[in-house]
Amino acid sequence: MRVAIVGSGLAGFTAYQTLRRELAPEEIAVFGADDDPAAAFRRRAAAIRQRQMRSESDGHCLPTSFPGLALSSTVRRRSVRPLLGTLCDCFHPTVDEFLAHVERLRDRSGWERSFRRARIERIRAVDGGFELDGHGRFRHVLVAPGHPGLNVPDELRSDPRAVHSYEEHDYAPTVTVVGAGLAAATEWLNALAAGSEVVSVRRREPVRRPLNVPREYFSRRGLDGFHRLGPGERSARLRALLAPSYPPGRAWDEPLATAMMEDRYRVDPSVNGSAQVICATGFVHGYAHDALLAGLAAAHDLDTVDGWIVVDPDGSVPALTDETRTLALAGVAAQWAFPAADTLAGARYLAHGFLGRIRSCRTP
Amino acid sequence: MSYTLRGRIESRLAAFVPVVVAACVIAAGEHRWWPVDAAGLMLGVGLALDVQAYHRVLRYQPGWAALPLGALELAVVLLLMRAAGVAAPLGQAVALFAGGWLLSQLLAHAGFPLLRLTYAEDGGELGRLGGTAAVAAAAVLAGAGATAYALRPPVVHLASGVHQGPIVITRREVLVGDPGAVVRGGIVVRASGVTVKNVSVVGGDYGISVEHVHGTVLDGVSVSGARLDGIHVRLAGVVVRDCSVDMLGNELGQGIDISYTMDMGRTLVEGCTVTGGMDGITTHSSMTDIVHNQVSRTTERGISVTEMSMGMVMDNEVRDASGIGIWCNDRSMCMIERNTVVDTRPGKDGPGFGVLASFQSEANLWENELGANPVASGAVTQSEVSRARSFSYR
Repeated sequence: MRVAIVGSGLAGFTAYQTLRRELAPEEIAVFGADDDPAAAFRRRAAAIRQRQMRSESDGHCLPTSFPGLALSSTVRRRSVRPLLGTLCDCFHPTVDEFLAHVERLRDRSGWERSFRRARIERIRAVDGGFELDGHGRFRHVLVAPGHPGLNVPDELRSDPRAVHSYEEHDYAPTVTVVGAGLAAATEWLNALAAGSEVVSVRRREPVRRPLNVPREYFSRRGLDGFHRLGPGERSARLRALLAPSYPPGRAWDEPLATAMMEDRYRVDPSVNGSAQVICATGFVHGYAHDALLAGLAAAHDLDTVDGWIVVDPDGSVPALTDETRTLALAGVAAQWAFPAADTLAGARYLAHGFLGRIRSCRTP
Repeated sequence: MSYTLRGRIESRLAAFVPVVVAACVIAAGEHRWWPVDAAGLMLGVGLALDVQAYHRVLRYQPGWAALPLGALELAVVLLLMRAAGVAAPLGQAVALFAGGWLLSQLLAHAGFPLLRLTYAEDGGELGRLGGTAAVAAAAVLAGAGATAYALRPPVVHLASGVHQGPIVITRREVLVGDPGAVVRGGIVVRASGVTVKNVSVVGGDYGISVEHVHGTVLDGVSVSGARLDGIHVRLAGVVVRDCSVDMLGNELGQGIDISYTMDMGRTLVEGCTVTGGMDGITTHSSMTDIVHNQVSRTTERGISVTEMSMGMVMDNEVRDASGIGIWCNDRSMCMIERNTVVDTRPGKDGPGFGVLASFQSEANLWENELGANPVASGAVTQSEVSRARSFSYR
């Protein structure tokens, strides 16, 4: 066995689809707790009642940007609207379409033959590869552990009214939503639609942009400059790029404007006496919150900056990658290489980098 | 997509290779160079805009932007083709551009991403394929250029002084008159692809006769003393530019007569000065544009478009004609724009029309100066004169 993917979420699944262009299922081992790659995403999308993806046609798990979900949607709906929508970047697949896409890929790619239900606790560098917790030695390992946990502000941890947006919940008559990103915006509309009065508590005004980061950061156009930044500058740039944001558009603005006129929506500086507090505050940041990554960094004395493990532009860890072996990160853990690493496009980018490393490896 | 500059250039070059190959095939089929010239201009304009404009202005290029950018490039290419004198049929030139544009869209959105895994995240860069495409495009263009150079017609210089004619040209060549070169007795063009430049012709039945050939260019010629027509064109494709025809004293001859050339495509008379003769410039069963000419002192019509001809009569000055300044006759269709017709005298064809449409013809008039004539314009025998701006590619 040559290649291992640690993590069976969407980042690992996307990497698997890319590897399958050149490797058989028997040459790849995928380690994870759940054989459904969309399990975590499905749970979170259901919790915030998300019906449409923020990503566009190329937000899928295939190794190439074409064919995108707009094409399959056009065929399935027998309408050219999805394709025309891609021309103005206004096609967003539904969550159901995306989940069906994942299911189709899962069925036909041999995922089940590669999947091993096991939680990898430790990765140890050995001669010509890596030892994975007694599951064998692999030359090339991609670590895609996903988000390390939900972020709940300290002052709300013991508040019985508090629930995280990505946990199952209903809406009380009065709701305070903490946060300013896509989940927060979705919760504002959800709660208003449920008849609640909504208070938005946020530290800063939300950034309005179509995707998680500006579009040029999805290609070399923006990435080359990003990769040239020194550690301090790159860390600061990452923090700026990853500030909470949600897309512009009337679908978001009109319900809020209407609710504001009806005194059902307002912005407050701090949590007040609402019956329910929804923490739409995303995930905790930093490799240290993930036991596997923390152990890896400590055991191999990896370079880190402000919670990010320093990786090369292709996602590989310099200290553990050479001509004979590769250890690379994917998903949110690889934001040092690709700011939008926790998106599907980011997963594809890092998968390409990983495959490139395997190709260039001289040893069989 | 957010293209890098290199990505834009490589994507354009790779998409250009099939276009330039197609252009070469069309050129070989038609025995004309315009497709290669047009393809070269398409590439040049595209690369210039990539470097000077698109890369700077468009950090991200949405899919819809390809439409206005394509239209902009098409307009610039057509303008440059006109400025460079590339004689391309408009419809075919637009079709070549549109085909290339469509192909480039298909490749950018589907072909290249399938060919190269990292196409989108590399900002359109194609790696080795990009370099290969650049070499291929350069090789095809260089090959076409070398072929064009090798096939250039020989240039024959006519020394200054008087040469006894008629000179009969029976091969593809460029005949260039040195200052003071005069041919007495006329020039007869009997081969396609002939250019006659800066030659003066005196006498002869026809000053210059062009029959049954295509691709003839008469540039800067002057004709005087011809017994029948100054320039006589029959069943031939011709461009007459910056000529001078003196027919004074010849009451029945015609300055420039272009007849029965409908099957040879559009012909052109531009920038000529014609004096005297019965008709200054006349076309029969032809598709001819007559622009920026000066015609004066004819014994009958200044300019006549007749016998089911079609064409534009534009920006001409017609003075002192007898009977009719500009005549659209015999089921012809004429777009007559921005001409000045003055001092038309009464003659046997009428009381002195600035413009006359007759015998089931249609004349469209726009912004002509016709006031200084006994009758500004008229239509007789089931003809129509309309006044609206026509579509013009000029």
